[in-house]
Amino acid sequence: MGIETAATRALQPALMRVRGLSKRYVQRTPFSRNKFAIDALVDVNFEITPGCLTALVGESGSGKSTLASCLAMMEKPDCGEIWFEGKEISHWSHRKLAPLRPKIQMVFQDSAGALDPRFSAAQIIEEPLEIQHRERGQQLRARACELMVEVGLSPDWANRSPLQLSGGQRQRLAIARAIALTPSLLILDESLSGLDLSTQAQILNLLLDLKATHSLTCLLISHDLSLVGQVADFTAVMHKGRIAEHGSTSQVLRSPQHPQTRKLLASVHVLESSFRTARAGGRA
Amino acid sequence: MKSKKKLIAAAIVLLALHLAILLAGFVAPYQPAMQNRDFPYISPTRLHFVDARGHWHVRPFVYQSVARPDSLYEYTEARDQEYPVHFFVSGSEYEIAGGLPSHTHLFGVDAPAQIFLAGTDNYGRDQFSRILYGGQISLAAGLLATAISLLLGVCIGCISGFYAGWIDESAMRLAELFLVLPWLYVLLAVRAFLPLHISPSQTFLLLVAVIGTIGWARPARLVRGIVLSARSRKYVTASRGFGASDAYILRRHVLPHTYGTLLTQAALLVPQYVIAEVTLSFFGLGLSEPMPSWGNLLANLQQYNVLVSYWWMFAPALALVLVSLGYLTVANAFHQQLQSGSI
Amino acid sequence: MKLSTASKMWPSMKYLERRVIHAILLLIGASVLSFLFSSLAPGSFFDEMKLNPQISSDTIAALRSQYGLDQPLPVRYVRWVKSVLRGEWGYSFAYNQPVRSLLMVRARNTLLLTTLAMALAWLIAVPVGVWVSSRRGRWDDQLASASTSLLLSVPELVLALGLLYLVIRTHTLPVGGMVSARFDRLGSWGQVSDLAAHLIVPVTALVLASLPILVRHVRASMIEVLQAPFIQAARGHGIARARLLFRYALPAAANPLISLFGLSVAGLLSGSLLVEVITGWPGLGPLLLEACFSRDIYVVIGVVMASTLFMIFGSLLADIMLVVADPRVRTDHASDRA
Repeated sequence: MGIETAATRALQPALMRVRGLSKRYVQRTPFSRNKFAIDALVDVNFEITPGCLTALVGESGSGKSTLASCLAMMEKPDCGEIWFEGKEISHWSHRKLAPLRPKIQMVFQDSAGALDPRFSAAQIIEEPLEIQHRERGQQLRARACELMVEVGLSPDWANRSPLQLSGGQRQRLAIARAIALTPSLLILDESLSGLDLSTQAQILNLLLDLKATHSLTCLLISHDLSLVGQVADFTAVMHKGRIAEHGSTSQVLRSPQHPQTRKLLASVHVLESSFRTARAGGRA
Repeated sequence: MKSKKKLIAAAIVLLALHLAILLAGFVAPYQPAMQNRDFPYISPTRLHFVDARGHWHVRPFVYQSVARPDSLYEYTEARDQEYPVHFFVSGSEYEIAGGLPSHTHLFGVDAPAQIFLAGTDNYGRDQFSRILYGGQISLAAGLLATAISLLLGVCIGCISGFYAGWIDESAMRLAELFLVLPWLYVLLAVRAFLPLHISPSQTFLLLVAVIGTIGWARPARLVRGIVLSARSRKYVTASRGFGASDAYILRRHVLPHTYGTLLTQAALLVPQYVIAEVTLSFFGLGLSEPMPSWGNLLANLQQYNVLVSYWWMFAPALALVLVSLGYLTVANAFHQQLQSGSI
Repeated sequence: MKLSTASKMWPSMKYLERRVIHAILLLIGASVLSFLFSSLAPGSFFDEMKLNPQISSDTIAALRSQYGLDQPLPVRYVRWVKSVLRGEWGYSFAYNQPVRSLLMVRARNTLLLTTLAMALAWLIAVPVGVWVSSRRGRWDDQLASASTSLLLSVPELVLALGLLYLVIRTHTLPVGGMVSARFDRLGSWGQVSDLAAHLIVPVTALVLASLPILVRHVRASMIEVLQAPFIQAARGHGIARARLLFRYALPAAANPLISLFGLSVAGLLSGSLLVEVITGWPGLGPLLLEACFSRDIYVVIGVVMASTLFMIFGSLLADIMLVVADPRVRTDHASDRA
């Protein structure tokens, strides 16, 4: 990826920014004086640059998913600020947040659990459009098929149940559903784990295409540094609820500052796949 | 598959039974209140195919019964005249499904003979007809009460499972209370404590309300379990991310998962509630004379002489057993389908 | 994470405490409910007297206030609770005695019937269920399945009536009541056999009514266990079938059966109402029915509370037995406290 492009982009105002975000989970067990407290996020400062693909990496338990939930407005932080499109939204009420929801969409790890097995593929994509009253009737189905094509699914499968699709196809479907409302930010929470390497490569390709055609801002969360290192413009490393390191990917990968980053890098398998060759062909 | 065949057979029998009971006016040869004072406690009329001279008839026929002059409730057949059974005869007037009057009955015999397929009671009323008309009451009570129980159960179970917290806690505690009460006792007590001498339609509605309301706890618990697990699925989270309202999520993502369980519960509850109505009427707490219900028809058997001498008065029990068997088989089949995941 | 040594030995104590408190709360709830719906009842015991022109309305009013029927509901409830604590459990207008003595006799009769029936039913159901579970799909299993289905569909009411009919027609057994008229004149052996003869019909009806469900549960539970690997291993060791079934498989299948046992105990007081009324057995059932019709409210409340008590006791018993029988449940509760 061109450092110049990333640098020019970095000069634009951040799409989403958090300052001093903290969240603690307290677990109480019945009939016990003991309480467990888990500091999921501790004083997190983080930014997402528009039009770029940012990676959020860390071991399990490092707080990545909690940060994602807060960004997606599914959970409220204990303290700190969240800025989106210039507004501070960390303490907004449910009703106030409602018009913002279509702008931040999430794709989950478990594609089978994230898609209602009773719905057909097209119905899954139609759902957000229906709820937000974007389309109706024939247009609804037409738009759904358009989106299917865009993510690389055949529109003939419109009536298939998600259970009849492979893991990779399901994630494509989930992505199609997520972009149906043309969000400003797409968060992918471990969406590539559980897929085989070639499928992962295909999905990453898809994300890059979407980024190119729609200027889609993506936040890719993963524990696999090698994976995201291939596509992300910016990378942040999380460790025990804090941001250990944050910067452009090339910088982070070549000269890691934090011992955690070094540890993650040490277990990286360099990806030599058709992905690289495919990439080399198409991008500016 | 064997169970498929059983299911189909049971469904057909049930359907036929319900249809016959629904069209009681058509299927029954007589009106339920019609008394034949000349023929109290007569045993079921025998259908003959061979006459006194040894000839075969294609169409079954009956002989007229004559009371024995010396003894009470004993009859012989007058073999001089054959009365063939006709189908689609014209008889007393009735109303189809509360509206259209009609005269046609499924079968009958010419006067002065009678065809009492299930004998008569002490007023000479045809038991076969009374069983059919009584079935309307008993089955309707069972079906309506089931609807009430399921409706209550779904509402409470949904709210309880969806919103959790203290609503859930209190609702489930209440459910436990209802489950721990001995239902038959409570039913009797509640029914007896409400006014005893009220009109038949009021009694019917009261019965249905009481039976249905007591039974909400089990469906509510089942629905709550399903709702709890469905609401924690990621696709519900995703829906919320699209801005879906609680009502939308309940309607499109959560409730559809309850349909299978609700069907099975319905098939289990209907016979239970029919039996509940029958039991109440049997003890005189349900529908009373002259409205027939399987319960008060069976109540005749509480009299010693009836129980001993007039075995045909057991006939409503047969209908009850058929209904139970049918619904239980269907419930079993639903349950198996549910287990294997096809519903 | 600290556990006191005492509770380490018996970690379920805390759990039992919880359950007992729970049970008491349920009882209170049931009593309040019973009281509530009895207050909705129009009319009272003394309404019958109103029909008698010789009794003046003043007398009736005096009787009502003597029995406290004209007091507001909460006052009556408190007075009833006090009566319970005194050991009287309210007062029966019809029998003119405290409810307790009335209940005790009838409850004893009912329990005699139901415990006998329950014991018999379990004694039959467990071996039959275990046997057919090992013969799955074969003729005896199919026969058992068909008969349980059929029995299940025959309501208790019909069963009792049918049995009564059979017995009367064949003149084999005495019908009605608990003992014959000449009971007191019989020798002790004669008394026992007289009682036994009267017991046969109601017990049979109860056994037939509960057998199908029990057999089904035993069979289902056993089938699940028989598919477990440790059974296959035991079979491979050449263990005889009977031993395998009863010493290896049955204990593993016991959990749901223990719960079912608790439920059976729960129904000991209330499950026999129909049978008692139809066969004339002088138990709680006929008492309740009578009291319902004559609006003898404290009897009704007493009977309902007694059976509720049994139901609560039964489920508590099931929980306790589960904790004792299954070590996994014990350690589950230990981890609860971590």
